[in-house]
Amino acid sequence: MKQTFTRRELLRLMMAGGGAAVLAACGGQSGQPATQATQAPAVVSQPGSKVKITYWGSFSGNLGEAEQAMVKSFNESQNEVEVEYQFQGSYEETAQKFTAALQANTTPDVILLSDVWWFGFYLAGAIAALDDLAKQVNLDFNDYEPVLLNEGVRKGVHYWIPFARSTPLFYYNKNIWAEAGLPDRAPETWAEFTEWAPKLVKSDGSRAAFGHPNGASYIAWLFQGVVWQFGGQYSLPDFTMTMTDPNTLRAAQFYQDTVVKNKWAILSPNLNQDFLGGAIASMMASTGALAGIQANATFPVGVGFLPKETNFGCPTGGAGLAVVSRAPAEKQLAAMKYIAFATSTTNAGVWARSTGYMPVRISTKQTTEMVEFFNKNPNFKTAVDQLPKTRAQDAARVFVRNGDQIIGKGLERIIVNGEAPSSVFAAVNDELTQGAKPILEDLKAREG
Amino acid sequence: MATYSPHQERHPNMLRREHREWLLFVLFIGPNLFLFSVFTYWPLLYNVYLSMVRWDFLRPTMPFVGLQNYIAAFSDPRFWNIIWQTATFTIWSVGLTLVLGLLLALLLNQRLLYRNTARAVVFAPVVMSGAVVAVVWSYIFDPRYGLIDQLLSFVGLRSPNWLVDPFWAMPAVIIVYVWKNIGYAVVIYLAGLQNIPRELYDAARVDGAGAWERFWHVTLPGLSPIAFFLSVTSILSCFQAFDLIRVLTNGGPADVTTTLVFHLYELGFVSYDAGKAGVVAVVLFLIMLALTIVQIRYVERQVTYG
Repeated sequence: MKQTFTRRELLRLMMAGGGAAVLAACGGQSGQPATQATQAPAVVSQPGSKVKITYWGSFSGNLGEAEQAMVKSFNESQNEVEVEYQFQGSYEETAQKFTAALQANTTPDVILLSDVWWFGFYLAGAIAALDDLAKQVNLDFNDYEPVLLNEGVRKGVHYWIPFARSTPLFYYNKNIWAEAGLPDRAPETWAEFTEWAPKLVKSDGSRAAFGHPNGASYIAWLFQGVVWQFGGQYSLPDFTMTMTDPNTLRAAQFYQDTVVKNKWAILSPNLNQDFLGGAIASMMASTGALAGIQANATFPVGVGFLPKETNFGCPTGGAGLAVVSRAPAEKQLAAMKYIAFATSTTNAGVWARSTGYMPVRISTKQTTEMVEFFNKNPNFKTAVDQLPKTRAQDAARVFVRNGDQIIGKGLERIIVNGEAPSSVFAAVNDELTQGAKPILEDLKAREG
Repeated sequence: MATYSPHQERHPNMLRREHREWLLFVLFIGPNLFLFSVFTYWPLLYNVYLSMVRWDFLRPTMPFVGLQNYIAAFSDPRFWNIIWQTATFTIWSVGLTLVLGLLLALLLNQRLLYRNTARAVVFAPVVMSGAVVAVVWSYIFDPRYGLIDQLLSFVGLRSPNWLVDPFWAMPAVIIVYVWKNIGYAVVIYLAGLQNIPRELYDAARVDGAGAWERFWHVTLPGLSPIAFFLSVTSILSCFQAFDLIRVLTNGGPADVTTTLVFHLYELGFVSYDAGKAGVVAVVLFLIMLALTIVQIRYVERQVTYG
């Protein structure tokens, strides 16, 4: 090679080529309305052949086994539909992969989406309206727990069917409680717990009275209930942010005090493990953790409703099932059949008993299996009894993209860095307001 | 082609040969150039475009917003915090790796018992998966049942809550990063040490140089090209450190271990903000480009090549 063509010139050429490609791309990409995807093409199936559908889920460990058992029993119960279960990682990872799949056009047919994710996919038109499908498989929406079902309804149309739904619960270690001479129940109020807490702490620092999780999303979920208990909220239904409401700030101050001033609570990267290992005497955690915690605890586990302050407050959470709007009509129907099966009176009970998630059907609670189970597991009864008192979370956490992270990280700064709640939440309020803008635009475009 | 050509008049034969060489050149670089264009240059340029749109990976439209994403990023104090944290992480990690790596290399260059075993042990973490290393270290750091707490308890101290305490989280990440990557520096240093001609040491000895002077005047200058190479590669890989941070702290507590790459991941794949993630990617690219140019232009000049 002679020196007639320098590296620099070669680079220049490449840049020029690339630049042209960028310009070309500006024209492409945009302008394909996602709603087109909702017009599902029909697939002609051979009579007698099975419809195969793909189901993306997010559970591992004993929850994953229960989820796979559900799919297996569905496949064995009939011979029209065959569900292939594919584990995709956490709720977050499942949503990430679904987003990528929408771009690459390799979507599943039915998908488990968490409380903070389904709404974004609804706005993008990626999940299907379910009412017609429900009619075709004779699904009775009236038998679903209304507080859970209504969250997945937009403009009177169902998009997100409750499946693995949970609420926070107050967990305590009965041995430590007895040692401290406390009554065998969860505290009624946070004021009461503040009196109890010093008795639960070990002075050498090896045990705290209470543990907060250090995952931003999770702590923002648990704190949702506390904010309501103190008479505040994250936001109003019209997306007006209320992070600087005096009561919201009071709740944040309380959270900070538990760690910084009173020092009876810690932030734990492994909340359940710390509870099981006795490093914390109590915690708030999802009902979905109940079965696992009871199975692994070496001490009697006590649970109770969340403590009150000014009010009682407890949010719903967890995940539900949605049908992918891009799936062919036949597969959508098959997906709906699976959803109907997995949330039937019987199977909602099977799922609830093996995991600790809420039975999503009203009639499930009256089945003999469930009544027996409640007798044997009064803790689980407590979780279900709390359900009618719960409500859907504020828009700021579940509808603003990344809202859970924004709130959770603000809370971390308050608890971990000891920053003043008023200044941190003022910044959080601004960030949430900014984040809500595109959602409001999308909402207007989607719902008018 | 406005380049210097030694012959004003070209022989036809030579022109043909040149032509053939050109063809050969294109044939050689063609396949790789194609792959690079598709998988490196194109995404790089497309990212510049993405940094100027508002898009959440889901919307059907990507409105062009010009420099708005840049203005939003640069006026956010959090962004500057993250740059500062990235610099802290990089300076400490690279500094410790270079200095401790040199000390370890000098030690392992001595005639020691089980020297090869020791070298293998020091190098082992380099080939381990970052996620695995991070999980193991998160147990070591546990303030209640972790190894560090047990060791500290012998001297009557309690372990800090490494991964949750905003003061200790960054040191914890740096410790693990250095532990994982020091073996690479040691191996490269060792190769460098063995390349320094023995005669130089003999000559220095004859001139009456002590151990310190031999180190200062022979070893260090002899190693400087190696140290330069290591500093470039370590800084670049430090800027890309992700796996350890993701598993150890997930960028927390309260963002203190969030580096640019982690921030990029958060914006892109947690908040789904392609535009803002694009801005971070562009900034990261420019920083790395600038560092590489500075290193090549200025540092290389002061390096003695052996």
